[in-house]
Amino acid sequence: MSAASSQSTSLSLEHATVAYGERPVLDGLDFAVPHGRFTAVIGPNGCGKSTMLKTLARTLRPRAGAALLDGRPLGEWRSKAVARRIALLPQDPVVPEGITVRALVARGRHPYHSPWRQRLPGDDEAVDAALAATGVAELAAQSVEGLSGGQRQRVWIAMVLAQDTEFVLLDEPTSFLDVAHQIDVLHLCQDMRAQGRSVLAVLHDLNQASRYADHLVVMHAGSIVATGSPAEVLTRDLVADVFDLDAEIAADPQSGTPMVVPLRRG
Amino acid sequence: MTRLPPWAALAAVTALLALACLASLVLGARETDLAGVWAVLRGGGEEHLRQVVAAREPRTVLGAAVGAALAASGVLIQGVTRNPLGEPGLLGVTSGASAAVVTATAFLGFSGGAATVWVALPGAALAVVVVHLLGRPAGTHSVVPLILAGAVVSAVLYAYIQAMILTRPEVFDSYRHWAVGSLAGASYGTLVAVAPALVLGVVLAAIAAPGLNTLALGDDVATSLGTPVALLRATSLLAATLLAAAATAAVGPIAFVGLAVPHLVRALVGGDHRWQLPVSLVLGAALLLGSDVLARVIARPQELMVGVVTAFLGAPFLLWAVRRGRVTT
Amino acid sequence: MRARTLPLALLLTSAILAGGLATLAWGELGVRLPDLAEAVRGEAGTKTVFVLERLRGPRLLVGIGAGLAFGLAGALFQTVTRNPLGSPDVIGLGAGAGAGVALATLFAPGLVPAPVGAVLGAGVAIGLVHLSTGLGFASPARVIITGIGVSAMATAATQYVVAVALRDSSTQLAGYLVGTLNSRSLGQAVLIGVILLVLAPLLALLAHDLRMMDLGDQLADALGARAVRTRTWAILLSVLLAAAGVAVAGPIAFVALSAPHIARRMVGSPGPHLVLSALVGALIMVLADFAVQHVGPVQDLPVGVITAGFGGVYLGYLLITAWKKADA
Repeated sequence: MSAASSQSTSLSLEHATVAYGERPVLDGLDFAVPHGRFTAVIGPNGCGKSTMLKTLARTLRPRAGAALLDGRPLGEWRSKAVARRIALLPQDPVVPEGITVRALVARGRHPYHSPWRQRLPGDDEAVDAALAATGVAELAAQSVEGLSGGQRQRVWIAMVLAQDTEFVLLDEPTSFLDVAHQIDVLHLCQDMRAQGRSVLAVLHDLNQASRYADHLVVMHAGSIVATGSPAEVLTRDLVADVFDLDAEIAADPQSGTPMVVPLRRG
Repeated sequence: MTRLPPWAALAAVTALLALACLASLVLGARETDLAGVWAVLRGGGEEHLRQVVAAREPRTVLGAAVGAALAASGVLIQGVTRNPLGEPGLLGVTSGASAAVVTATAFLGFSGGAATVWVALPGAALAVVVVHLLGRPAGTHSVVPLILAGAVVSAVLYAYIQAMILTRPEVFDSYRHWAVGSLAGASYGTLVAVAPALVLGVVLAAIAAPGLNTLALGDDVATSLGTPVALLRATSLLAATLLAAAATAAVGPIAFVGLAVPHLVRALVGGDHRWQLPVSLVLGAALLLGSDVLARVIARPQELMVGVVTAFLGAPFLLWAVRRGRVTT
Repeated sequence: MRARTLPLALLLTSAILAGGLATLAWGELGVRLPDLAEAVRGEAGTKTVFVLERLRGPRLLVGIGAGLAFGLAGALFQTVTRNPLGSPDVIGLGAGAGAGVALATLFAPGLVPAPVGAVLGAGVAIGLVHLSTGLGFASPARVIITGIGVSAMATAATQYVVAVALRDSSTQLAGYLVGTLNSRSLGQAVLIGVILLVLAPLLALLAHDLRMMDLGDQLADALGARAVRTRTWAILLSVLLAAAGVAVAGPIAFVALSAPHIARRMVGSPGPHLVLSALVGALIMVLADFAVQHVGPVQDLPVGVITAGFGGVYLGYLLITAWKKADA
């Protein structure tokens, strides 16, 4: 891992206003991606969590304010330079027709290449390491299209790993997966954090977020309403206010982290 | 465009059609005036005026019929394919008719005129059948294969047409005059020849219209609501083919009426196909007549072909619609 | 370049050379290898010189050049629109070129040479598309739809001219409109060659980021490939190349559309495959040119008829096999 977790590197939003059409989804939002943690962004549909992630990943451009990398607006950086610091796994990524697992993972090395240097000495090792870390090494020669949903998601994460960035942004990486594969992905996120990377993932399952992430960010109607460890953040009142759900907070029998248990009706 | 209650919309376009018919009888390459035409229509009038009106009458009726048929065909195709770019030409109607005309001219000594219909109609129908055979892979209800098959068949047929016309001058001549739809020299004979196909097409369309409303919700939902999806599709496409083939056979290929009028109709009366059908029939007739009037007047004393005018009116309309985001992409 | 690309490129180049030599050598007027050797040494007889320089040489070179250009144009366009039916012909370039020539014939006969009219018409058509989408070339879907509209207008104008013009000029016009290699000049061969040489370095630079476009815009950007910028450049170059092809050979159908498909199927891996698409395009042109010069039933037809017919049939075959696979 190249970048040390020194506080001089940062990825943040400063007073960012982001809109689709007329309505702003985020209005003057300030947020800094926590260093070296696995942070989960949660909130009800339409609260702006995907929008915030996309703005940090420079998919969306703020109408006012800025997204900053190391204090400089993302727009001022060269595209490849940003790609070497921030990796993004979007929702529903497109699988190129007929591509093999290894070839797709190797795409992650693109930010290090140029028209004159399309292969670098470190490429093969990075790809091999990524394949091994995600447990898809035996599938390397297979076509990605033929894989199951869970395997495919691991291949995408391998690509992100091959990109070898300090910041890893994942937009709903567990959607549409079988529960066992969802847990796999969350374990991989923890592994990435263990490697020293700063992981930010939008998750929709409160209990998964609470159990696997070290840090939670709760959003509601375009603003951040709470940040902190799951134990600090998940309370009956918060769940009621933000998610409109009456629940008690119990301790997860395996990990001791807060677990949201909806109250019985009537 | 604001949405009107359906009755009002139908009344409005009917008034438009009446206006267009009047214009078609009064205006044209030759100078006439309203009073003179009115006198002719009531049985009297001057001799030379009577001849002019006698030529314009069948042209008006045929133009209205063709415009109505093309518009209704477009509504059906867009309903079945759920594609706002649906157009009768997609199914191979235009290329099939053209290829048949060229073949008949080249090999059967055919020489055009009102009998073109008898050649073009089977040609169009045959092409559509081939497109359907190519474009119906078993196990999928998607219409993309159909559209692609239409593109392929059209391309091959056009290559064939080019091969024919570039090697045979007499074929070239007759084809190039047919290739752009025109109402010039229209006769009641032509109308009579295509009338059965037109009538049958309208009847089938009326039967299919209510079902198209549920089809718009998606095949699965429609099936669960009890709609016989495959039968509905087949009926609608058959109706669309009959209407488009009859229209093309009668006057030659006319672009954009089938494409643009359904959009206008949707803006006027919304998504209910039971209203879309009658409104499109009337509006299509009115617009085609209007285009024909324009074709006759704009380059006096020459006449343009109505197919050119519809292309130059319809295409900018499409571009405008895309730019304003009216066409969902 | 990946493992299979190089051998395939060599194979295609050999095929092109073989086809070219066959075209030159076939038939009564054929120039055989010994004659060619003489020509290279500068000792060619008059017949050889005539056939090489006036009859068959220029059209072969123009055909290869136009084929390379069309193949590249199609590959670029299909990659950035992620649409297998994407091709500059579809968005009005071919039709615009035809209309340009037709209108020039009608209003300024003899004043405006066909290639100039073609390029002007193509330029106007593309300009219209760019203006009408409201977003420039950023949205592939909008580009394709407005292209269909512009195409239709251009086609109507062309057909109108063909219908009303005098029969002789009409026939000539119609022949041009479908794309032909008849009566090509060495000047045209040089033109297309120069354009290809000048654009080649730009294409090499673009190819790098182009490879990431099939991942979708979000991922392409995230990997540093600047999706919108890459797309704009690719469409621009695609249009330039297609216009160059049209300027020297007329609007030849289906090469830009089918060459990338064929190249992709040969290689079996994803990617823009610019070089292979270009070579396939050139091979198609060489084979079509051979056919219209030497194969009985289709002799003397314009090359565009062959490419359209076979292109259509090939596309149909592609579609059928693809659907059979989807059902299996």
